[in-house]
Amino acid sequence: MRRYKLDISNRKFVIDVQELAADRFEVIVGDNTYEVSLSGDEDMSEATITPGLPVKASGTSTTATANALARVRNEPAPATNAETPAPPPAPRAAAGKKGALNAPMPGVILEVNVKAGDTVTRGQQVAILDAMKMHNVIGAPRAGTIAEVFVSVGQNVNHGDAIVSFTGD
Amino acid sequence: MIDHETIGLLLKGVNAVTWQSLVMIGVSFVLMYLAIAKDYEPLLLLPIAAGCMLANLPLSPLMAEDGMLKVLYNMGITNELFPLLIFVGIGALTDFGPLLENPRLVLLGAAGQFGIFLTLILALLLGFTPNEAASIGIIGAIDGPTSIYVSGILAPHMLGPITVAAYSYMSLVPIILPPIIRLLTTKNERLIRMPYSSRKISRRTRIMFPIVVTVLVGTLVPFATPLIGMLMLGNLMKESGAVERLTKASAGEIANAVTLFLGLAIGSTMVGAEFLKTSTLAILVLGIIAFGVDAAAGVLFAKVLNWLSGGKVNPMIGAAGISAFPMAARVVQRVAQEEDFENFLLMHAMGANAAGQVASVVAGGVLLALMGAGG
Repeated sequence: MRRYKLDISNRKFVIDVQELAADRFEVIVGDNTYEVSLSGDEDMSEATITPGLPVKASGTSTTATANALARVRNEPAPATNAETPAPPPAPRAAAGKKGALNAPMPGVILEVNVKAGDTVTRGQQVAILDAMKMHNVIGAPRAGTIAEVFVSVGQNVNHGDAIVSFTGD
Repeated sequence: MIDHETIGLLLKGVNAVTWQSLVMIGVSFVLMYLAIAKDYEPLLLLPIAAGCMLANLPLSPLMAEDGMLKVLYNMGITNELFPLLIFVGIGALTDFGPLLENPRLVLLGAAGQFGIFLTLILALLLGFTPNEAASIGIIGAIDGPTSIYVSGILAPHMLGPITVAAYSYMSLVPIILPPIIRLLTTKNERLIRMPYSSRKISRRTRIMFPIVVTVLVGTLVPFATPLIGMLMLGNLMKESGAVERLTKASAGEIANAVTLFLGLAIGSTMVGAEFLKTSTLAILVLGIIAFGVDAAAGVLFAKVLNWLSGGKVNPMIGAAGISAFPMAARVVQRVAQEEDFENFLLMHAMGANAAGQVASVVAGGVLLALMGAGG
């Protein structure tokens, strides 16, 4: 996860970019989350994204992140010179979140046993994931309070998709 | 007036009751109890129990020349049709994805067949003929149709006990595997986590797999061609997505109907005098040894893999290298989660289990080749 604090036309943005795969990022801007896929990766001139944070020409991950960021940053900013339209805010596919409870393997959610605000103990059943026709109990990785539930019954999840997040993450 | 002859005719049934048939009817009740009350492979054990009961009733017309049970037996057991049709259904239900994602798991499937050959030697030492010994050994694969197929060719007279052993042990997988796993692994080994590797398997690979395996195995082990061919046909239909109706029928209606016929026909081989022999007991005992050794060999081999990989393989998944897909893999996952609820070995266990399914078929073919079946 990399956090960028931007000041665009006197508006402040905090943008968190989480690398999901080499070409997929989760970008969180304020309350909105976007899954961004990187379709091109060009080396642009030595741009400075964050003051004091030069983009390394060789560091592909930084460049990729920067590019992904470049693509999404127009969305929340009030119509500046939009060269690339931001990706539409896809229905939240609940891509993996750090600190959150993520799906250990692909499958279908059969049961969700908690809701936002619930306090859980470590190991408490949070959901049941049907994988390879086996019902797998997904337990809470730690004690805490559920901040958000990202899945609903019948939903297909992929490996690493977030199931719930905890407050304080 | 009623004379002695008339009474004799009326009581023909009662007079034909033998102690063996009574015992076998008792056995059928036990099987029914296991199927209905204990839920042990009821789909197969209930028809077997019914076939056994019907065949042991005195002078059972079902067992006469054109009796239904005889007809079913000749229709699908003597020529191996039924187990092969079941295999199409199994293929249509088996997902080889986890194996394709992690192809080295195929080694665990191979290791999971070791017990077959050890049991073969044990059975030979106990005085069984080589053909009989091979049929007993194949019980270790915990693969009903393969057991029926192999023993149907090599030792048809032992089909009843072998099938009952294979299927009842299959239903005992959840009871037999965990102690074997716990005995052979340390707690630390059982706690090894194996993260899911989300390698995407292309549709092309999934379609190519059954074709390549059929050609390869069929060329290397011709005796396995019928089994592997049908298994992979089912899988090809599933993965191609081109013949959804046939896939559905194979995995559903056809498999269900054949299971009923197969169960009845197998049950009908369990006739008193033939079944109640010490050899039956020996078969049951050897069968469970074969099963245990298969699972143990899988675990031990997985330990070797773990050592070679520097601690990245949880040895428990080796226990899924037997057949009994997908039950063995589920049992492994359950044991893993009992110790660490955040440990999800399921996909790896499924891979080993799918490999075991293929390997047991190959082992069956190898046994047939060793015994020089079919000339």
